[in-house]
Amino acid sequence: MSTWLRTAGLPASALALVGAALAVQLANGGGSFESLRTADPCVERTVTARADGIEGLTESLVLLGVDGAACRLDTSREAFVLELGQGGERTDAEIDALREGLRDAVRRMDREGSLPPASDLVDEALDTADLNGFLEAAIRALPDRVIDSALKTDDVLLRAIDELDLRDLLDDLESQDELNAQLEAAITQAVKDSLAARLRDLI
Amino acid sequence: MRRAVAPLLAVTVALVLADSAVVTLALPDILQELDASVSQVAWVLICFNLVLGLGAVPTARALVRVSPRIPSAVGIAVFAGASAWCAVAGSIDVLIVARCLQALGGALALVGCLELMVAEWGERRGVAAWVTAGVVGTATGPVAGGLLTQAISWEAIFVVQVPFAVLAVPAALAVRAAPDRAPDRHRPEVRSNLTLALLSAALTAALFLLVLLLVEGWRRSPATAAITVSVVPLAALAARPLARLLRPSPQVEVAVGCFLVAGGLAGLAIPPSAHLAWTIAPQALVGLGLGLTVDRLTAQAMDMRLPRVRHAGWTIAARHVGVVVGLAILTPVFTADLRDAQVPAQEAITALVIDAALQPQDKVDLARGLGDELSEQQGRVPDLHRAFTRLDLDPQDRRVADALERDLDSQLERAATHAFRDSFLIGAALALAALLTAVVPRRRRTS
Repeated sequence: MSTWLRTAGLPASALALVGAALAVQLANGGGSFESLRTADPCVERTVTARADGIEGLTESLVLLGVDGAACRLDTSREAFVLELGQGGERTDAEIDALREGLRDAVRRMDREGSLPPASDLVDEALDTADLNGFLEAAIRALPDRVIDSALKTDDVLLRAIDELDLRDLLDDLESQDELNAQLEAAITQAVKDSLAARLRDLI
Repeated sequence: MRRAVAPLLAVTVALVLADSAVVTLALPDILQELDASVSQVAWVLICFNLVLGLGAVPTARALVRVSPRIPSAVGIAVFAGASAWCAVAGSIDVLIVARCLQALGGALALVGCLELMVAEWGERRGVAAWVTAGVVGTATGPVAGGLLTQAISWEAIFVVQVPFAVLAVPAALAVRAAPDRAPDRHRPEVRSNLTLALLSAALTAALFLLVLLLVEGWRRSPATAAITVSVVPLAALAARPLARLLRPSPQVEVAVGCFLVAGGLAGLAIPPSAHLAWTIAPQALVGLGLGLTVDRLTAQAMDMRLPRVRHAGWTIAARHVGVVVGLAILTPVFTADLRDAQVPAQEAITALVIDAALQPQDKVDLARGLGDELSEQQGRVPDLHRAFTRLDLDPQDRRVADALERDLDSQLERAATHAFRDSFLIGAALALAALLTAVVPRRRRTS
């Protein structure tokens, strides 16, 4: 066996083996096998709600609103949600950011034309509202055109967001009934305020 | 019966050195059953290697003055008794004390068996068999431990050692060996022992970290992990024929071995996915490196040095102190990295749950369940399956949830793999440091 082969044979084989192994690993994504990176919440993303009706609308608003809030707080959407999920005292900055995030979400959906007209939501809202039978039947009898001209979805939603006590709402995340009661009260008040404002404008 | 004497002694050597890493795959079970903390469980490994590393040289010094027959038998008996004690240990503290005693008996058995095997087989064959038994034990320890843990229990690892060791006691007593009264003429071979220590620290990364990644990070069973890491001893077996084919000088062989271990560890640091196949080539490199270096370095450290038993003691000390150093460097690094990986992993999980095509209320329920699992399984890579089983879903949503569960598991695997990366790279750096010690030119002696 030549001296060259004795001296360089094994080192050359080792270099080839190590080089080939590392090259194959890297070529197949080795080195980038790590956790999903969180997206920039300030970049608008498309959200898809699985639910329909009011629940679907709420889901879309919350998903977009959390993004907006995280953007304002200069954190990721995920870190903000985890922070909210941990309970404890919410800071004013968090509450303000969440409220503004939700308002931004309404404005964005309105701009994109993805907010449903009020008439699409009335039947479902009446199903859960605690109204007397006569009033409920009267509202159901109203033509959609009348409802849509009297109530603008974006206006009602913005008013409802302002009406909501977000600190209480976040504390009640564990209780579905409490959550629904708060949302219903805020929306009812927002509908009343919106109708009153329309009347004022007409007069 | 006479023919079985030397093989039984060789098996004892392999058993003692296998014990260095045999419990690695059993650590998660020990942690749970003995209600221990992660740092306490790490001491089950550290204490054995520390006592063996620190006890080997004094034991060898003492053995120079007496016939090795009785001390070897006593060492093997203590090793057997301590193994049985390990198997019945009811608390982590008792297990650690029993492991220390096992290492003390093991140190006496190791150096004693060398003298007895030389007496039985002659100098050349005896030393070669002693060195080979050590390499086989070191390489196969984690595999055997994993298979026994999966098939029976972690206690079985210690129980199966007892009969072999008990049989080796009369075998040791049957050998007529004179004390090695060679004058204390040679200093310890610093370079080979230092390379051996650094390489042992690097191999700790390969064996200890890899099994932890497989069992804890990728959630494979101990048996699957054991079969997977069997690539290392198999590749180590292939190293000798390769060296015979190319016939390099011993120095080149050791340097190449260190380089292969470093390359293998670098490969383990960057797997493209959590598929076991991606660990095979890097493990094969580590195994080849192990096969080219450990026996060669051990032989170099003992070559023509007298008294033989004392230099054997130095090789044992170098290897096991190297293991302890490796554990001492790597354990804080990967535990800190695992802790740091929690936030990105939780955020990745949160992102996937928020964007999942599930009903909002199901998402809230799932998030609550995942939160409970994460708090309950603090300090470990969590198993999220229970959070999904608690959901009441229709068949279409169940399919979505199943896909989501797979995605979340993948995120956990990614986070764990990333958390082990720096530790594997530190292991690679240790192997490169071993390479440096092997290739630095010797100073010429001036006459």
